[in-house]
Amino acid sequence: MEAKRDALGDGEEATGTDQVVGLGLVAVSLIIFTYYTAWVILLPFIDSQHVIHKYFLPRAYAVAIPLAAGLLLLLFVGLFITYVMLKNQKVTKKAQ
Amino acid sequence: MTKLAQWLWALALLGSAWAALTLGALDLPSSCREVLWPLPAYLLVTAGCYALATVGYRVATFHDCEDAARELQSQIQEARADLSRRGMRF
Repeated sequence: MEAKRDALGDGEEATGTDQVVGLGLVAVSLIIFTYYTAWVILLPFIDSQHVIHKYFLPRAYAVAIPLAAGLLLLLFVGLFITYVMLKNQKVTKKAQ
Repeated sequence: MTKLAQWLWALALLGSAWAALTLGALDLPSSCREVLWPLPAYLLVTAGCYALATVGYRVATFHDCEDAARELQSQIQEARADLSRRGMRF
């Protein structure tokens, strides 16, 4: 066996696709955060005749869209769990 | 008090404060009202964005050890060959 490495005995840094995917996630979350913050927090204090209101949907969508997205997420998680459980059941039935 | 009880207590307190303000307990200017009522959704979205950003950042800065990975794979192959020689089926 090799000698023990120290706590930071890491090799090189993260591999190519890892970095791209990771930084992509960070960028997406920053975009969503800035747009949503502008929508919910900044827009009410901007004069309603200003041109920037053209780039944002009516305010009700600020709650409806995240709510719908959350419900969709729950739906997919539930479907995935159901799929895995059914696959498991079939495997045990075959083994019997 | 358990942690769950503490969280539920804090949630109930903040929730009732939000509900009272949204339904008009104090006389707030209309722009403040407009900021206040989507606040729970906003906090949830912010928490989700923070979680996503943290995961992404840690994925991007994770230190791979390619040598150790290759070594581990070859050891796994060795072990499989050895065990299947001794009769274990995979």
